[in-house]
Amino acid sequence: MRRSRIGLATAGLIAVAGLTLAGCAAADETATDAADTTEEAAVTGADTYEVYALLPQGNDQAYGTTYLPPMLAKAAELGINLTITNSEYDGDKQASECEVAVAAQPDGIILWPAIADTIRPCLEAAQAAGIPVWITNADVNPEDTELTYGYSGTDSYGQGAASAEIMCEIVDGAEIGIIQINGLTGNSVATLRGNGFKETIASNCPNVTILAEQPGDWVPDKSQIAASEMLTSVGIENVQGMYAADDSMIKGGIDALKARGLDPADFFITSIGGTFLGNPLVVSGELDGTIFQSSSWDGENAVIGMYSVLSGEVTADDERVALYMPNPKVTAANASSPEVAPEW
Amino acid sequence: MSQNQTIQIGQRETTLIGKLRLRLARRTEGRAVVLLAVVLIVVSFTEPLVFTAYQVSLGRIALIGLVALGLTAVILMGELDLSVASTLAVSGVVMALIPDVRLGVVVALGVGLLIGFINGFFVAVVGINSFIATLGMLFALRGLAFILSDEAPVRIADTDAGIAFGLAIIGPLTPRVLIFILAFILLQIFVSRVKAGREFFAVGGNRQAAYDAGIPVKRRIFTGFMISGFVASLAGAINTLERTAADPRAGLTVLLASFAAAIIGGNYLKGGRGSIVGTLIGATALGVLQVAFTLSGVQVPVQEIFIGLILLLAVTTDPASLRAVVGGIRSVFQGRLKFQS
Repeated sequence: MRRSRIGLATAGLIAVAGLTLAGCAAADETATDAADTTEEAAVTGADTYEVYALLPQGNDQAYGTTYLPPMLAKAAELGINLTITNSEYDGDKQASECEVAVAAQPDGIILWPAIADTIRPCLEAAQAAGIPVWITNADVNPEDTELTYGYSGTDSYGQGAASAEIMCEIVDGAEIGIIQINGLTGNSVATLRGNGFKETIASNCPNVTILAEQPGDWVPDKSQIAASEMLTSVGIENVQGMYAADDSMIKGGIDALKARGLDPADFFITSIGGTFLGNPLVVSGELDGTIFQSSSWDGENAVIGMYSVLSGEVTADDERVALYMPNPKVTAANASSPEVAPEW
Repeated sequence: MSQNQTIQIGQRETTLIGKLRLRLARRTEGRAVVLLAVVLIVVSFTEPLVFTAYQVSLGRIALIGLVALGLTAVILMGELDLSVASTLAVSGVVMALIPDVRLGVVVALGVGLLIGFINGFFVAVVGINSFIATLGMLFALRGLAFILSDEAPVRIADTDAGIAFGLAIIGPLTPRVLIFILAFILLQIFVSRVKAGREFFAVGGNRQAAYDAGIPVKRRIFTGFMISGFVASLAGAINTLERTAADPRAGLTVLLASFAAAIIGGNYLKGGRGSIVGTLIGATALGVLQVAFTLSGVQVPVQEIFIGLILLLAVTTDPASLRAVVGGIRSVFQGRLKFQS
């Protein structure tokens, strides 16, 4: 018995050591790839840079899955060794990752804020350490922009406003009631898109009344439940339209209509994304319009922006750079066009 | 006339080695110590920056460890407190809503104590299973945090004070690390030197026997949950100060990390066995490992696989689990031998 216990304990210890080594080896493989890139860059005479990319999502979400490969490819092309983290939208975790990044003294930090309001200490620490920060995907608060060199990504408020413009156009002055499905509560992109939609509806087409709004947390299943509950609470007979802050959530909303035996084509429905889920819905006529968003543009331009700082093209004395992603409207007229071909 | 009889159970150890062996056998931190040693050795070769940037590593250990220390008080009694993550969030929001930072901290800590009292009431008085009671509180408090914050992060009134709070004040030690060390010392003294704290083990080991021995079990359960709530709210107040804002979604990853630290530290989930020192060691092993993974750029899903496997190893190498595993294997083989014969 005793021998068995000692044997199992020894095996356990070996396993722990093996696991830790394997974990670091997994990272080393990435590092080796990056080292190859560095060698290539050295051969071509270019400088190489160490950069931390502090992201709130990665391969755990559809957008992150298609954001990362172009980012890595562009980094390899420009001789940048990327160390990527994923805070899973936990502000405390990202703050801790930022501390680690600053301690590692990289040449630069690419930051996609998990929670914009909690990021200032990280930015101040980076500035104190002389590490330039480039913001990607979701911008920091206006008072914190002075601590960053630039931003590349979407105009989230503008996306919500553009979706509202499609809604106003298709409604064409009719008095209707709609329900609104928002993104994850507290998330800055969700808040900006929601505000952009509501404020544009209020100013451009007051004939559209938002009867109820609920978060769908960027998830189709939860959005279906939220839409179904809102249809019940406001009365299905009062609802003629629906907006969701994201294509995956509008899919849930459309499924809620279908579950009640209703034809989505009879409703005014808009969204944001221009995704593999959204564009086919536009083609089929179930979704009236969505806003195209390119994850590859986002990932690539984060690295391009950082590189412009590292190469001295953009300096601390320059005015802050802002690269906004083009967000064309996707309707039945252009849904099959290659310019708005879905990426995620 | 009766005659007193002394019954001796087991052999009495009189030699120094024997006493030492007996003392070590009573400890539950053995596996955590070995795990920590292995992690430190491997990391020292693969990511030595973990040690040179020890301020960061200490911060990560304190981030995981503080909530884990409070949880340990509850786990020692065989109970669970799933509401710590939401307690952290709601305390932070309450603190940020009050313009006076000092008053905010005091009120936030009071909120933590109140939540702990309510949890204790449901478990000790109403008799609801702690898993269910604190799961309910987890959802209720998360909702409360969203309502109070109007579903958005709340910035503290004095952001400069918050940023200053995140800076080192003694050598490389930030206030968070110092508070963590202080909390560890106080809780360690409480569970090892104070009668009420030592009774936690009795309550967790055998509740009926604890009742029969005259231990105020209900009062101890109240105390344990109030410690857990207080420490979680303390973590919430520290996070809010350091980040200069309170996030109603805060604490999403801290719950599992804290439980993992406590379990890796050798605390028995059914209660009665474990220690605050073990939790500290567990949090240190986990914190060092996480910093090493971050520095190496290991992706979160891969990190989760490794931490999950280490957690499984920690649980299955528990002496009681080992006995069950070995016994199970033996019975399978014996059964086969009998069947063949």
